[in-house]
Amino acid sequence: MLAARFAEVVLPHLGDALSLARWLTGNQADAEDVVQEACLKAHAGIAGFSGGNPRAWLLTIVRNASYTWMAKNRPRSVVAVGDLADLDDVSPPPGSDADSPEAALVAKANSAAVEAAIAGLPQAFRETLVLRDINGLSYREIAAMLGVPQGTVMSRLARARGLLMTELGGRHHEPA
Amino acid sequence: MSPHENRPREDGLPQDPQDMKLMIHALVDGELDAAAALAVERRMAADPELAAEHARLVALRGALASVPRPTVSDDFLTRIAAIGAAKDAEDVEAARAGPVKAEVPPSVQPQQQSNVVEMRPRAARWFNSFDWRQMAASIVLTAFLASGATQWLATADNGAESFAVAVANGHRRSLLAASPVDIVSSDRHTVKPWLDGRIGVSPPAPDMAKDGYALLGGRVEVIGDRPMPALVYRHHEHLITLVAAPRQNEAKSVPVADDLSAGGFLLVHWTDDAFSYWAISDAERPALDDFVARFRAAIIANPAAGSPG
Repeated sequence: MLAARFAEVVLPHLGDALSLARWLTGNQADAEDVVQEACLKAHAGIAGFSGGNPRAWLLTIVRNASYTWMAKNRPRSVVAVGDLADLDDVSPPPGSDADSPEAALVAKANSAAVEAAIAGLPQAFRETLVLRDINGLSYREIAAMLGVPQGTVMSRLARARGLLMTELGGRHHEPA
Repeated sequence: MSPHENRPREDGLPQDPQDMKLMIHALVDGELDAAAALAVERRMAADPELAAEHARLVALRGALASVPRPTVSDDFLTRIAAIGAAKDAEDVEAARAGPVKAEVPPSVQPQQQSNVVEMRPRAARWFNSFDWRQMAASIVLTAFLASGATQWLATADNGAESFAVAVANGHRRSLLAASPVDIVSSDRHTVKPWLDGRIGVSPPAPDMAKDGYALLGGRVEVIGDRPMPALVYRHHEHLITLVAAPRQNEAKSVPVADDLSAGGFLLVHWTDDAFSYWAISDAERPALDDFVARFRAAIIANPAAGSPG
């Protein structure tokens, strides 16, 4: 019975789990270790999964497992996730002039460039962007996962996308 | 951001330009209800800067969609699946070691009888965590069977006809709901990725506004036990729901559009290589047939409408 539930709740979302872990840890091989660790935790806690979005549930566990793994294996690279007040100021995202060949440039960006640009984002922005644009979670689900208000999710997402568009649109950073 | 800047205008949207940009993001993300989406689209039409932001976001979304997703290797999948199987085996072992449980194989005791007899000793061990899990599992199973059986009676019994009834019920429900769509957008580049993100499949969504059929958006229909993508088009004052069920091997091929009706609505059913389509509307039969003909012509003429790029 539990095996069936595990197969139903966890297995379909392994791709998403690997994506998130890959973007949080920075590489694919580590992502598999992290996801395996997360799946052990998910299995132990499967009785506590009470419906809702199984993907969001699994990704919450994957996120925690990623940070635990990072703290253990790469203590230097972990930023204090709790202290982001300065990041969350709604300052104008870069790239706000009206008409743009930028959209065309962004659309043409190859996937290697896009990956590099995502990897270059500050942790809090990267995490929010990946949860939304790669994993497809809703604002509400992301807010619940990160323990921040929805408005914070929205502003981080806008900042993250602004940075990506600046990077991919081939423009230099403007003072924000 | 002082409170003055945030005082809503008549359309209920924020005055502050930065907050207004967040609304554009929310629109692209399918986070707005129909009324708010309409208001934002109106603002966009009046403000080229907002329209440009929207264009950039749609472009960025396309770029992000092109990022390759990690593949789940068979090896990895097997390893993870083994976690579930192995731990479950341990539980079964534990069950056998303890007092008699429901999982005792039928060969050892007659199943029906043993369940009845075992209720007492199990009740005595109420606080044992293992019993809790079994209890929870059986409640879930019961709920699943109860709801599943209803669905099964409604849909599995006589194939196409009951599927048509389910499509009709979904359409009726959507007309009564606050919004007939879960993702509001006239842009297939928004609708298709949204459906892909939710259920991993999205049908072609050609833009047929010039033919008089405007794409309103999409939603997810659950028919039988399968989530399916549905597109919603508007033709004058009528809504047309187009449910696209991914073809399965056993599904009957219906290359020529088949006129049906169910629940007071007219339906047209046909299939192509990838999908089994059900178009339903309260529009007149000629209008619905015309929609179907144009939709089929559009996806043949431009299969690229099927790709999210």
